[in-house]
Amino acid sequence: MSCADYETLIALYVENDLTEQEMSCVESHVETCAACSEFVAAMRESQAVLKALRLDRVDDADLAEIRASVMSEVSSRRKPIAWPKLAIAAALVVTCAVAWMWRMRPDVAVVVPSMAAVTVPPAPMTLVHTPLRTKHHPVRAARHARSAPVFKSEPLVVKMFTDDPQVVIYWLVDQNGG
Amino acid sequence: MQELALVMSGECLDARELELARLVKQAKAGDMAAFEAILVRHERQVLMTALRLLNGNLEDAKDAAQQVFLRLHRSLGQLDESRNFPSWLYRVTINVCRDALRIRMRRPTVPLDEAQHRAAVVDSDEKLRHSEQMRMIYAALETLSERERASVVLRDLEGHSTKEVAHMLQCSEVTVRSQISNARVKIRKFVGRQERRRL
Repeated sequence: MSCADYETLIALYVENDLTEQEMSCVESHVETCAACSEFVAAMRESQAVLKALRLDRVDDADLAEIRASVMSEVSSRRKPIAWPKLAIAAALVVTCAVAWMWRMRPDVAVVVPSMAAVTVPPAPMTLVHTPLRTKHHPVRAARHARSAPVFKSEPLVVKMFTDDPQVVIYWLVDQNGG
Repeated sequence: MQELALVMSGECLDARELELARLVKQAKAGDMAAFEAILVRHERQVLMTALRLLNGNLEDAKDAAQQVFLRLHRSLGQLDESRNFPSWLYRVTINVCRDALRIRMRRPTVPLDEAQHRAAVVDSDEKLRHSEQMRMIYAALETLSERERASVVLRDLEGHSTKEVAHMLQCSEVTVRSQISNARVKIRKFVGRQERRRL
């Protein structure tokens, strides 16, 4: 091995980064080679200079600045969802919608199975079977008549409980199709 | 129970590491105080490493440290608290600083004296000497490749073993030894040139 080869090993030797075998190999060469012995001293000196960087310090103010900006950024990412407010808002919307539908409901046209074939003046949201269908498809007409819903004028009230005991959602369901 | 599991998994964590594992677990569950405690515990390590990897530019190092902790917060869900957390944090710091250096290379450079170098303000001979020495070391580190700089910073300045550095840099110990050796020789040559110039 030449002195140039030893240079790379000496760079590790000065910080005990070699195996025992390599260490003893370098040691025995350095004892007999003045140039490499000089290089070991120079390398130790530059390592000492490098390690002076360990003494470098940062101010607490700089650390506090980093911490503040990180915590601020992280907190803004994690805005909690206001579930109680959201539930109240949803309940209000549903209530308003139901109230509006209740007000706008058409006059109830009661259709009983026996009257299914009777022509009723057209009105929105009512089931009307035309005489044409019953004329050509009497079986289907009878089936329609059997399955025709029996409308009631009383609305169905659905009471929904939420996690918040102060929030109860009432759902008024118009059984006339509203 | 968690602590027992960690000990039984053969990780042999000491009290400090167990405390850290507990904090990571709490932070994962959304505990902001635990996240801040992790930050306080590691902010100096991250900032100092960033400063050394970014050639002493404090403003860049502060930006990098911030990025590291934001990345930590984003990655909390995937973190395994039983793994070596400081090692993971070093790896992230190295990656963030590498990206910062690449960005810096693309933008016009500011001369070191005009830059916001932390050693710029001096008020005594001793501080002046210290500041000059720091500047020279940072200049020496600047002559190294990214990998060489990371290896030498982790080994000689942060004091990790070659094995630990290899784990952090995700390469073999042989590679790390080669990088450290090259880096030390380059630093020696740089310091030698500076000394000859001074004489």
